[in-house]
Amino acid sequence: MAKLWAIIKREYLERVRSKWFLIATFFGPIFFSAIIIVPAWLASRSKATSDVYNTIILDATEAGFGQRLAVAIAGDSANRSRMPVVRVVSPAELTKAESTATREVMRKERTGYVVVNQQTMAGEAARYAGANATSMADMAQIKNAIRETILATRLQQVGLDSRKMKEITFIPLDFSTERITERGRAGSGMASVLFGFAIGFLLYMSIVVYGQTIMSGVLEEKTTRVAEVVMSSVPTDTLLAGKVLGVGAVGLTQQVIWIGLTYVMLKLRTPIMAKLGAPTMNFSLPDISLAAAILFLLFFLLGFIFYSSLYAAVGSSVNSESEARQAASPLMIMIVSTGVFIQPVLLNPTGTLAKVLSLIPISSPIIMPIRMAVTGVPPLELAGSLILLAIGCLAALWLASRIYRVGLLMYGKRPTMKEMAKWVSYAR
Amino acid sequence: MTEYAIDIANVTKRFADHTAVRDLALRVPTGSVYGLLGPNGAGKTTTIRMILNIIAPDSGKIHIFGRPSNDPHLTQRLGYLPEERGLYRKMQVRRVLKFLAELKGVRGSDADKRIDEWLERLSLKTPEKDWGLAKIDELSRGMQQKVQFIGTLLHDPDLVILDEPFSGLDPINAQALKDTVIELKHRGKTVIFSTHLMDNAERLCDSVCIIARGEKVLDGTVTGVKEEHGLRNVALAIEGDGASGVADILRDTSLVRRADDSNRFFEIELVPGADPQVLLRRIIESGASVQRFEMIQPSLHQIFLQKVANTVRPEERAAWAHVEEGMSGHG
Repeated sequence: MAKLWAIIKREYLERVRSKWFLIATFFGPIFFSAIIIVPAWLASRSKATSDVYNTIILDATEAGFGQRLAVAIAGDSANRSRMPVVRVVSPAELTKAESTATREVMRKERTGYVVVNQQTMAGEAARYAGANATSMADMAQIKNAIRETILATRLQQVGLDSRKMKEITFIPLDFSTERITERGRAGSGMASVLFGFAIGFLLYMSIVVYGQTIMSGVLEEKTTRVAEVVMSSVPTDTLLAGKVLGVGAVGLTQQVIWIGLTYVMLKLRTPIMAKLGAPTMNFSLPDISLAAAILFLLFFLLGFIFYSSLYAAVGSSVNSESEARQAASPLMIMIVSTGVFIQPVLLNPTGTLAKVLSLIPISSPIIMPIRMAVTGVPPLELAGSLILLAIGCLAALWLASRIYRVGLLMYGKRPTMKEMAKWVSYAR
Repeated sequence: MTEYAIDIANVTKRFADHTAVRDLALRVPTGSVYGLLGPNGAGKTTTIRMILNIIAPDSGKIHIFGRPSNDPHLTQRLGYLPEERGLYRKMQVRRVLKFLAELKGVRGSDADKRIDEWLERLSLKTPEKDWGLAKIDELSRGMQQKVQFIGTLLHDPDLVILDEPFSGLDPINAQALKDTVIELKHRGKTVIFSTHLMDNAERLCDSVCIIARGEKVLDGTVTGVKEEHGLRNVALAIEGDGASGVADILRDTSLVRRADDSNRFFEIELVPGADPQVLLRRIIESGASVQRFEMIQPSLHQIFLQKVANTVRPEERAAWAHVEEGMSGHG
């Protein structure tokens, strides 16, 4: 027991002390939250492209519409620098004015021009031509400004003053969505899909990353022959168990820190977004019970044991990193093919595909937690999945320990599948 | 303390396509320095792995200090230095050593004290520099060998097994290793080492066992083995240019069974019944200036070549011609 502990301790401490662990663990959540915050921030910024202000308004309405539109585009009548240039023209001169404006845009002096006329006043049509005509945000802003100006003009015509008008038209609608499950309300529907995806992605990445960590760890012990010294002191099964548990504990530590930091970052998201001037979105975290959290960790641990013991077997059977990559490809295919199904399962978490995948030990450690995150899973299915996964783990450990203890002492040629099958049958 | 540190009885180990060790029996007296000699592929490493319980024999019994070799308490009393050296490259020296000590059941505080002693003893820790705080891959090869050596002995084992310990050692480390082996013997420890460097074995070992093709060729005390092979060998040293004339004489198979030609020094095994005086006369007649002509016991190297050559097929003999006498590692 003391020896198993020594091995776990070494695996754990040596990895947790490494620079890469620190970087990945503490910058991971910052990176993830940046993924959430930066696009929203950029989206909010893109509305305020300065191109919109550098336009010309060709006003053929003969009713001062252009000036009011310029104020609407600038958003603030006091800010003269953001105000587009207004050229009042008669309908007859419009063609000439347009060709002048076109040349200005071609010389890049202006971004584009808006034509407003009687039709615009009637709410029927307006035209824009310019270099930024493909920018959806810019076009939306100009279009909105025109609508606002038309509405304001009309309201004024029926005798409403501008202050009252603002009160009437200001509708800051906050549309929030929430999912209802058997257990009642379960946070926002959007959040729960995001959460399911995050869980799936996290489990998927952890299994790939830490599986390969184990593989190269085993390979290092084999190539440096440390394995022989260790094997003369402890049984190979203890060595294998110590490695799997030690590296598993590293993965668990990382996940706990990740989940904690992500939780904090999500809490801080709204204030950060507000600081950046982006519109805030009501975002309630899914309500995860303690039992569900424990089940998530259990699935991670079992899935990890399943894959990492197989990775250890691969690491022990080869002699170099490049051989290891090749030999590990069947495992990689098993994991990647599970990853491919994450999206279909998210879209239909109660379908047959989801049910079958959450029972097979190859995919269940990733698929079942996703299903749990997005929908209620019947206890019977949960129990079945766990039992099958546990059996899968035992089988993987049995197979791995047999390949491991022979492989560690075999140097030279990479074994064929047939030879490895023979190793399994060796007594010791 | 039991009489034999190791008692191997009729042990056989087969792998998929060959028998690595066949019906091997040997006994290593407690407190002795024992040499396991044999060419590459003779089964030395397999034998050592079975002693260490890394692999189990297919048949036969191995007892260490009177206990079956799979007794889990034995590992604390064994120290092992594998043939190919290596340690966790990215790990701090001190932590590697502590890990290895913990695997042998040494408590943490105890381990720290011993690590300090050993690091100082092998001058890896001096007032100027403590290499114990460096990572393994910052160390020179020689220093890494020292660290591994410390790892083998940190738990003060009663039986130390060194697999080809001299290979790749620089003269200074080789000397340190020899000194330590002698010191271990004085403290009543048993040391086994496998080697194909006969010179080292002859000087260091109390007893030897020569194995080839998985079978024991001979064993016994070094003096006993040499006496058994009698005084049929001649040590000859010449001066000047007479070497070619001497070489002709040595090809005479009615007189000389085999000769090991080291240019100016020859170790000659005579044909049974041949008169050494005849050989001396002919050498002098050839005009060579003889510096030394002495009846000697055969060296272990000669016995090894003779014995191993007798047990193998001719086509294998060529492959073994490279077996070194042990010119390296003299310190």
